[in-house]
Amino acid sequence: MSILGDFVVALPVGAGGAVAALTEFEAAIRAVPTLLSRETIPNQGYWDGSEWVGTFLNLRPGLAWGLRATLVYVYAFAIAAWVAAGYQLYRRVYRAANWTPRDDVIDRFRTHRWGIFGLFVVFMFVTMAVFAPALGPTTYEQNMRNSYSNEIQYFDTETDSVETVLVGQANRGSQSTGDNADRVLPMEYDNFGRFHPFGTLPTGRDLFTFIVVGSRISLVIGLLSVGLSALLASSLALTAAYYKGRVDLSTVLISDGVMAMPQLLLLIMLTSVLSGTWLGNIYSGGFLLALIFAFTGWTYMWRSLRGPALQVSERQWIDAARSFGQRPLVIMRRHMFPYITGYMLIYGSMTLGGAIISIAGLSYLGLGVAPPTPEWGRAINLGQDYVRTGSWHISLIPGLLITLVVTGFNALGDGIRDAIDPQSDAASNTAGRGGGA
Amino acid sequence: MTWFIIFMGPIDPAARLLSEGQVRNSAEYTAAQQQLGLDQPPLQHYVEWMGNLLTFDLGQTWLLYQGSNVNALILDFLPRTLWLGFWSVLIAICIGVPLGFYAGMNSNTGADYAASLGGIVWRAMPNFWLAIMLLAVLGSSAAIIGIDYQNFIIPLDSLTGSPDMSQIGTVDGFLAATKKVLPAAIVLGSASMGNEMRIGRTAVLEVRNEDYIDFARAQGVSDRLIVWKHILRNALVPLVPIITSEAFLLIGGSVLVETVFSINGIGWLFYQAAIQGDLPLVGTLMYIFILMIVSINLIQDILYTIIDPRVGLEGN
Repeated sequence: MSILGDFVVALPVGAGGAVAALTEFEAAIRAVPTLLSRETIPNQGYWDGSEWVGTFLNLRPGLAWGLRATLVYVYAFAIAAWVAAGYQLYRRVYRAANWTPRDDVIDRFRTHRWGIFGLFVVFMFVTMAVFAPALGPTTYEQNMRNSYSNEIQYFDTETDSVETVLVGQANRGSQSTGDNADRVLPMEYDNFGRFHPFGTLPTGRDLFTFIVVGSRISLVIGLLSVGLSALLASSLALTAAYYKGRVDLSTVLISDGVMAMPQLLLLIMLTSVLSGTWLGNIYSGGFLLALIFAFTGWTYMWRSLRGPALQVSERQWIDAARSFGQRPLVIMRRHMFPYITGYMLIYGSMTLGGAIISIAGLSYLGLGVAPPTPEWGRAINLGQDYVRTGSWHISLIPGLLITLVVTGFNALGDGIRDAIDPQSDAASNTAGRGGGA
Repeated sequence: MTWFIIFMGPIDPAARLLSEGQVRNSAEYTAAQQQLGLDQPPLQHYVEWMGNLLTFDLGQTWLLYQGSNVNALILDFLPRTLWLGFWSVLIAICIGVPLGFYAGMNSNTGADYAASLGGIVWRAMPNFWLAIMLLAVLGSSAAIIGIDYQNFIIPLDSLTGSPDMSQIGTVDGFLAATKKVLPAAIVLGSASMGNEMRIGRTAVLEVRNEDYIDFARAQGVSDRLIVWKHILRNALVPLVPIITSEAFLLIGGSVLVETVFSINGIGWLFYQAAIQGDLPLVGTLMYIFILMIVSINLIQDILYTIIDPRVGLEGN
């Protein structure tokens, strides 16, 4: 559950106490032997000439890794199924009300095949991000960050004996740079008995681990930015809808001003200008990215929230609440906000996809998330020169994954939209694109 | 806003201009600051900068192509980007709109589903990745589709690089410049293509269910005439804002696409200026981009009134 820790680390101020509490919590969880920690089903072993040593049940490393990855997903889906079944049970047996309006929304979503597909893809992606350390065949620490302070054992066919080598040196022997003999394609072993589900990078590092860790970064940045912009957009939309008149007009003006600036260009400019500062160093630049996304992206969400918010503000219960003296803030929060959360979900899902593309585009250009930290766009950049050679996998796989994940987020948004508001075909504008990346 | 980021931001342009040793030499540092106009009070500097922008007196670059006139630089780089943008809009319209209309006319058939799904996936692809993949396919096109793209019709010296805009008047020069920019334009137009297809499909579906279509059919107007005159013309209306709003995506995307295809356009210039800290150039380019967006919005309003006479000018 260290993704929670990542979230807290990404928040700069006032999080010191929370970090301590969370690390304690994390340590407590770590102490419990779980099925999913890497040590339970180890896949990093070596061939001693007759059998694999150090792997789970002496299986081949690829098999052991596959078993662990499958178990992670089985576990995640079991939890999801348990929650879904629990909700059904609660609805059928324990809830006092026979029917609520939300039931219709959920039933509509359940029969929306395209939306379910989106939910499936997004769930796979989130599972990947949450279980990143357990999913990779090796760890970020060992394979990338401190590759020269970790060592592995392998079977040397020339000397016919088990040798020890530093991970960094082993990486140099497993580089995928074109048609070289050492290149490691997807689902292959390198010369050191290590299994690479997606092959290796030109630096010899494991692409799957890179992608898994990168997915966590994309997700954290995306969620942070969407959360921040949702906060901004909803509070502005509610205030404008409640007070109308000049307040409404001024928010329109502000948002038009922000919208006139091309988002991707602003991102490029700000990330390069602020890259050396303290703000740019939090969470390897991810926090800055999230901030810029939030402050440029809220206008799109605000645009789609304004209509529904204005509609709600015309309803009678708002007048009623006002007439017996409820404070404006309470009215907005309690009587207006619940009616626009659905629209926030739609746009949140779509902008998250766009944010993932934009982050990848920026890191492709070498901006945004700073180099030692993995990011999908950087893998595409690294493999760019080798697409036509034997090392085609480096650019191809991350690109396909981005396409799949973004399609998933868009499909989820479509599904939620059709479930909440079956009549409308709104939200089909450019929200799903990261400013043209 | 842009000015604030550039001049109040943490990068000291004067320090960037000089080498490490020169920064410590305070006399030279002040001289550099004076040369760049940084010794003025902020407000005065801002007013002067804005005034210069409004009169298109864009000054000189600091670092990139040092000392050259920004006006000349932009005039040199802009045509390539416009050429690229022109083709990407054209390709997107020529492929996306007919496909969308076709899907709308044959709704809920296999072809419709295939086209819609293709559009959705096409839209979700990152441009830069698509560009790399397209280059790879074209580079080995002889093996894949049997046509060597590089020497097909007009031989090119390389697949990437800037189009030669000087020979555009001649037939060969026109073909060469077009062919060079074509893959980049396809990539850049990909997002718009998906959008246009989707909107086109819904528009056709909506128009088909209108009463006046039934009325025309009852009057005995031929199917072909109904499709061409009544359905397609009315379905074009919602497409106009989509096409013009793509300008946003095109401008943002041009940076990435021009970088991948190494086209020396203003998107590429912007990226170079941004990473090297040539801040006035960045500011000026930003200004030009914003100008372009505003003018495209104006064109959109005018187009709207031409296509749909119901929309009055005062309605906007």
